Amino acid sequence: MTPEVLPAQEHKQEYKRFAPAQRMEHIILLTTFVGLAVTGLPQKYAAEQWAKTLIEILGGIESTRIIHHFLAALLMGEAIFHGGVISYKLFVLGYRATMIPGLKDFWDVIHWIGFNLGLRKSHPHFPRYNFGEKAEYLAVVWGTLMMAATGFMMWNPIATTKLIPGAVVPAARAAHGGEAVLAVLSIVIWHMYNVHLKHFNRSMFTGKLTREEMVEEHAGELEAIEKGELSSTLPQEVITRRQKRFWPYAIVMTIILTAGLLWFLTVEDTAIKTVPRQDIVIFAPEVTIEVGDAALGESMWPTLRCARCHGEAANGDKDIPSLRGTGLSFDAFYKQVRTGKADKMPAFSTGEIPDPYLLHLWTWLKEKPTAAPTAATTSG
Amino acid sequence: MIKRTQRPTAMKVLLIAGLLLVMSGMVLLTLAQDDEGPTPDATSTPEVTTTVEVTTSAEVTTAVEATTSVETTASVEATASTEVTPSPETTPQAAAPAQTVSNSSADQTKPSNEYCLLCHSQPGRTWTLPSGETLSLTVDSHMLADSVHGTKNTKGALDCADCHTDQRFPHKPEPAQTIREFQIERYQSCKNCHEEEYTKSQDSVHAAAINSGTLEAATCVDCHGSHDIQTPDVPRQRISLTCGKCHGAIFDQYRNSVHGSALFAADSNPDVPTCIDCHGVHNINDPTTNLFRVRSPQLCAKCHADEKLMSKYNITSNVFDSYLTDFHGTTVALFNQEDPNVATNKAVCYDCHGVHDIAKVDASNSKVIRENLLTTCKQCHPGATADFPAAWVGHFPPTIESQPLLFIVNAFYAVLIPVVVGGFLFLVLTDIIRRIRQRFGSRAKSGS
Repeated sequence: MTPEVLPAQEHKQEYKRFAPAQRMEHIILLTTFVGLAVTGLPQKYAAEQWAKTLIEILGGIESTRIIHHFLAALLMGEAIFHGGVISYKLFVLGYRATMIPGLKDFWDVIHWIGFNLGLRKSHPHFPRYNFGEKAEYLAVVWGTLMMAATGFMMWNPIATTKLIPGAVVPAARAAHGGEAVLAVLSIVIWHMYNVHLKHFNRSMFTGKLTREEMVEEHAGELEAIEKGELSSTLPQEVITRRQKRFWPYAIVMTIILTAGLLWFLTVEDTAIKTVPRQDIVIFAPEVTIEVGDAALGESMWPTLRCARCHGEAANGDKDIPSLRGTGLSFDAFYKQVRTGKADKMPAFSTGEIPDPYLLHLWTWLKEKPTAAPTAATTSG
Repeated sequence: MIKRTQRPTAMKVLLIAGLLLVMSGMVLLTLAQDDEGPTPDATSTPEVTTTVEVTTSAEVTTAVEATTSVETTASVEATASTEVTPSPETTPQAAAPAQTVSNSSADQTKPSNEYCLLCHSQPGRTWTLPSGETLSLTVDSHMLADSVHGTKNTKGALDCADCHTDQRFPHKPEPAQTIREFQIERYQSCKNCHEEEYTKSQDSVHAAAINSGTLEAATCVDCHGSHDIQTPDVPRQRISLTCGKCHGAIFDQYRNSVHGSALFAADSNPDVPTCIDCHGVHNINDPTTNLFRVRSPQLCAKCHADEKLMSKYNITSNVFDSYLTDFHGTTVALFNQEDPNVATNKAVCYDCHGVHDIAKVDASNSKVIRENLLTTCKQCHPGATADFPAAWVGHFPPTIESQPLLFIVNAFYAVLIPVVVGGFLFLVLTDIIRRIRQRFGSRAKSGS
């Protein structure tokens, strides 16, 4: 972007810094960034009370996620657009890549710190984009790519694990959260201080900077403007020739990237598939079993009325037969329990002892040695 | 069918009468508080008063009469003639003329156990209901004495008429058509003493099922028994065995689970949950609701987040916390907070570990052992492939060995964030220092 000197307005000379399209991009970035942070951070810190409150305000976790996904899609769309614009400026209009950091930026930082601490006499002459702005811009580029990649893995874990190892998904989740915290803290500290607290830099909204601001923050650029170094533009025929080559690439890339974005958003729905409710048999008093379970029989013996007469150890009493090592077949045993014995033993209904329980009991009794252990006899 | 429509009216009459009795009893008790302390007679006190009959409307009495008059003779005769041959010394008509005088709820005396057992101790006594089912009328008095309501009862042994409050001789005809109807009608007696448990049970799935016509759903007596009631949780296995009587298929699953097999082991484990530890006792909730699902992790956490308890078995108590930090757990916890009645398809503990068939995590039939994990994931993520389960971090904090990539990423940001933030803070600070120096320095020096 070639800054132009705007006509003096009152006493101030103003310099054009951002074109309307750039300011529009910034508004999209601003909105999506804040929105993504507001909907994303409470998901990372979901156990905290502030996060719960915020999620509630946003209409619940499902709607928070929908907003987050929507804003993510918007930001990715903006990223595609930005890529197109940058390519046009670099490859067609022939602008210099003013955002690429160099050795000068490194010395600028040292110089600037020295100046701030009173070790250097002069303020460094910052170029069009000073080291801080470059850092921020590149952080946004890196952050967006990073968040898109890790976001994709979280959004589409099945598609991801078809291509790369599963362990990447939790790592992506950690990186997504870590990067978010890093970005938000950087913005809060660095961006807020530099463009809001230090003095309110309105250029991103008005598009202009005052001469004083230029002197402090972009003295290098100001000098270049005043020397007329930046006013040179490419001849129109060069631009036209380049445009002819640029547009086919641009269209193809836009189609590919937009299709990629749509794929990103829609590739997977299985991650949120609801498992149909299963019907399980709840009321099954007479479930059929093939084999008795002696351990169960032993457990249930003292809980049943049987033990009252036949004894805790099932070894009977004077007139009452011992059931230990019973020789009865299961059918005979079953019949005995269900019908009882006139005057001697009551009949037991299935409500009191269900059929499977009888099989468990019989299995246990049959296995028990005929002689009762002494401990059981004394206690019984 | 006709009877069924009449039954509610009869029930209502009984309820109203009972309510009035209790109310007047309470009034009398408050009035007579100085004279006599609250004794077990409290319930019988109102029966003596005449207020009951005064307040019972004409409609009520006629309704009672209507039911009695129609069937009395028929059913009593039927029972007597077909099944029972009353022995000479137990012809109760002669023995109990006092009871026949007032047949309604305003009975003045309650029959003694001996009096009831004159008939009811005789073996082989049965009653044939209109449905054709026969119900044994023989009560084993020893069994009764041996029950919690018998001689061990710290408040004194109960008499037959303490539960069978409306039974006098000759017996009123029973409105019940089937044994089940009779049982459902009878268990209402439990609330006379166990009101809290009874009230809770009315909020249960069982009561709801009965109210919607599924009469086989459990009532008090189906779990506790009637004449043979024993302490319900001694031994502890009795609890699950009781539920298993009706819930046989689930019981079999539970019995072979890590919990059930420990409960039914020779040295029964006292810590493993029985059915009621998850499902509750009297107010057993419907476990198929969204509420139950969303709150279920807390149910598991009751034991599994208890460090002291889990250390006994060398199990990590980190499971709940690690679940909460995972995507599934975060969402479910938020659902629980927002509105636990909304359906969520995010996994809860039992979606992965199983419900009643929970196995040891390292058992070969475990749903979460590595070999079976993909199948388990596929329940909800049908498109998942072999590498998908590796995306689950597990319940242990990630280490460099278990999750190298995750560990590195966490470590990277743990360093990067403070470095970047610290760096920016330092730069901002130097800028602030300069501005302060410029402002105050410019006054002293007049600028550079």
